[in-house]
Amino acid sequence: MYLPCPVVQNIKVSCTSWKCALEDVAWIISAPAYHLILEGILILWIIRLLFSKTYKLQERSDLTVKEKEELIEEWQPEPLVPPVSGDHPALNYNVVSGPPSHNIVVNGKKCVNFASFNFLGLLDDPRVKAAALVSLRKYGVGTCGPRGFYGTFDVHLDLEDRLAKFMQTEEAIIYSYGFATIASAIPAYSKRGDIVFVDRAACFAIQKGLQASRSDIQLFKHNDMADLERLLKEQEIEDQKNPRKARVTRRFIVVEGLYMNTGTICPLPELVKLKYKYKARIFLEESLSFGVLGEHGRGVTEHFGISIDDIDLISANMENSLASIGGFCCGRSFVIDHQRLSGQGYCFSASLPPLLAAAAIEALNIMEENPGIFSVLREKCKRIHKALQGISGLKVVGESFSPAFHLQLQESTGSREDDVKLLQEIVNHCMDRSIALTQARYLEKEEKCLPPPSIRVVVTVEQTDEELERAARTIKEVAQAVLL
Amino acid sequence: MGGGSADSVPPIERAQMGEGGCFLETAGVEASAAPRAPRASEASSFFRKVRYLFPLLLEVPAPSLGVPLQVTAEVMNVGVAHSEVNPNTRVMNSRGIWLAYIILVGLLHVVLLSIPFFSIPVVWTLTNVIHNLAMYVFLHTVKGTPFETPDQGKARLLTHWEQMDYGLQFTSSRKFLSISPIVLYLLASFYTKYDAAHFLINTASLLSVLLPKLPQFHGVRLFGINKY
Repeated sequence: MYLPCPVVQNIKVSCTSWKCALEDVAWIISAPAYHLILEGILILWIIRLLFSKTYKLQERSDLTVKEKEELIEEWQPEPLVPPVSGDHPALNYNVVSGPPSHNIVVNGKKCVNFASFNFLGLLDDPRVKAAALVSLRKYGVGTCGPRGFYGTFDVHLDLEDRLAKFMQTEEAIIYSYGFATIASAIPAYSKRGDIVFVDRAACFAIQKGLQASRSDIQLFKHNDMADLERLLKEQEIEDQKNPRKARVTRRFIVVEGLYMNTGTICPLPELVKLKYKYKARIFLEESLSFGVLGEHGRGVTEHFGISIDDIDLISANMENSLASIGGFCCGRSFVIDHQRLSGQGYCFSASLPPLLAAAAIEALNIMEENPGIFSVLREKCKRIHKALQGISGLKVVGESFSPAFHLQLQESTGSREDDVKLLQEIVNHCMDRSIALTQARYLEKEEKCLPPPSIRVVVTVEQTDEELERAARTIKEVAQAVLL
Repeated sequence: MGGGSADSVPPIERAQMGEGGCFLETAGVEASAAPRAPRASEASSFFRKVRYLFPLLLEVPAPSLGVPLQVTAEVMNVGVAHSEVNPNTRVMNSRGIWLAYIILVGLLHVVLLSIPFFSIPVVWTLTNVIHNLAMYVFLHTVKGTPFETPDQGKARLLTHWEQMDYGLQFTSSRKFLSISPIVLYLLASFYTKYDAAHFLINTASLLSVLLPKLPQFHGVRLFGINKY
């Protein structure tokens, strides 16, 4: 019955196994005892499994029902809308009528714009506006869909091509919102268990991206390469203790080209050296330096003469120099391609309106046609930087060639609110004298490392030397009046 | 779910092994009941019978909640948008996967039977061992997901067994997958005539596949093997 035989015979045999059941019983009885005992245990195990209750592993909490009730009783809900003082800046905003171009009309008063990030003056450029209008008539206003669902137009692909060519990388990807660009790019690559070394002065968008990534964040002191190296060395020691874990851990360094919060530049050559020494990947956020630094406006890599292939990902928003909306990431093809499915802001947001993409393309054209504007801009920055030195009570924070720098109080009054009030007075007085300035605003409770209150001054190519000098003079006089 | 990765692993890839279907009646084991499907549209009369006979057999609700914790076995959402963060957790609950698993084990057994120089005991032991080996590899060795999940890699270091039902213990799929190697072992012991050498091999193989399924072994990596 149990001869080795081909399949057909086997099946025939098994179908007659009812008849052979009695003989099988004989086999079972003659089986060794340990085997039968084990089978008995297994059958009991099956029965136990069948009657086990489904439970969650961590569900057993150490609190008794009574303790839970007590905690619930004690809980006082916070108000949905916490009380806010009447002079909170969000409740007293300035209203701008007309475009925020070189001359801005704030609260009905015409001022020179030293607050909008319109570095190259392309916001009001007639060519850009014409290109946008042509696109508006062709495509309408919005796209009504993300890139994956009929939201990809030829202008998007054109803009991505142009940006990739301009930055001399393999590929670029467009996002429809500048904040979402770096906030989507970081979590697309860095996941739980990965380590990100980030500067303390990183902007809020980067912080949100890091929070979304659920990775281990290591903050290093602003622009302090020694601190970063210390952290990298510590991580290296950890890695040597646990090489298997190290093999699956990705390490990233996230820096900005020109920091929004401080106006300083990152020391990119040292960073590249550290990158190769400690095997980390660099994500460079170039929102302020794109279209500002470098001979052709390609950003901080061109400024330092570093090959763009050394940087793994460059992210920038198009809301500053390009005077459009949205942002882009550029880099190697295999890096950027990943974001087409994993970039949350790319897959799940409507795509950039075609008129803004066309405007950005035209702005790129202008940038490529006159590369002289970048040095002009840097000259103006240096000029006003020099002119603002030596103001009593205010110190200039930022590089001399940074178009967005900060004026901080030399001595703080002790409380942030008072500092803010003081700076607001300065801003208001400057506004009265038709110089439009703004304070750098932060979500104070949400920032990881809250920068001190400051006035942010923005330089654009459209400001004449005379206006720059007038601005410097005004700020000096106002500061003198208010602070002394 | 990240873009196009909404279509998750097809059931066949996961359901590798199961018991031989034709031996069920003789063995009289009810563990082969198909997952409880809310619609019996495709169920043959056999499954309808099994389902009516043993409606709640594999599902014992925890007393603290009014409803069973286990989500009823859903249709495997292929090609549709779903809100499942990690589809790996629901694969073994999808419609038809238990049957596919059983058929696959049956297929393995039949293929082994058709090799002319294997005796019946050898074939059964081989079925048992290969089934347990494959189960060990696919459920307890391979970690993470083959697709990107929106939870930023929460399950990156978890095996499929640990991911099933998001770590909920003693759900019906887990019970099914725990019971099936035992049933296979019982059958193999019978057909190898309780021979000592086969006993050693089969028991070792069974233990290797039963121990990782214990709730005490959730997330445990012995000697740091397969930890990262």
